[in-house]
Amino acid sequence: MIREQPKTAKSGETPRISIIVASDRVDKLFPAVTLASTAAMMNWEAELFFTTWGLLALRRGHEASEVSADYKIHEEGLRRAFTSGSMPGWREVLEEGKKTGRLRVYACSTTMGLFNLNLGDLVEIVDDVVGAAYFLGRAKESEVNLFVS
Amino acid sequence: MEADITVDARYKSCPGPLLALAQAVRGAKPGKVILLLATDPGAPKDIEVWASHVGHKLLGVERGEEVYRIYVEVSG
Repeated sequence: MIREQPKTAKSGETPRISIIVASDRVDKLFPAVTLASTAAMMNWEAELFFTTWGLLALRRGHEASEVSADYKIHEEGLRRAFTSGSMPGWREVLEEGKKTGRLRVYACSTTMGLFNLNLGDLVEIVDDVVGAAYFLGRAKESEVNLFVS
Repeated sequence: MEADITVDARYKSCPGPLLALAQAVRGAKPGKVILLLATDPGAPKDIEVWASHVGHKLLGVERGEEVYRIYVEVSG
């Protein structure tokens, strides 16, 4: 049993978490979406902002499954964990988070232009296309801010 | 302890047990007791914090040789 409950920043208010995702490697995507989806399942408001290479993971019909070059040595073990079902896939975790209605997924507008993408090119879980200022406005209201790349 | 629903999340790593429990809770009526079977060593503390945030009641955790038996009562 836990002796002390973790403190949230402002008692009585809904905690918020904002995460910038700047990689399309599964070893980066998995922890980012796990934290956001878990937060949403804990009744937090959660935001994921996919930018640069991170946005490539959200292209429709494209299953991001590569491991970072630095950790290729662990790729087989990771794949085994995913295929055996001991670890859920990152997309499944994201979809579970979305079901709460408290997780929002944003695509970076500059990256959309860089890769010549439209909202229709991305999977349906993307809520909107936004820029840096919009995300900063959301991040300012968040007690937890993370950058994953 | 008696349970109305059993959720088997053995050999699933974080966040697998929580995903499985949250799915079961969504489909359960208030007052029902869910038994979550888990082997992930983080599961008891994870479920305790989760339950305290969302208002469900952690009734208890039994630790077997390999498996945690985590009882949660669904709130209204």
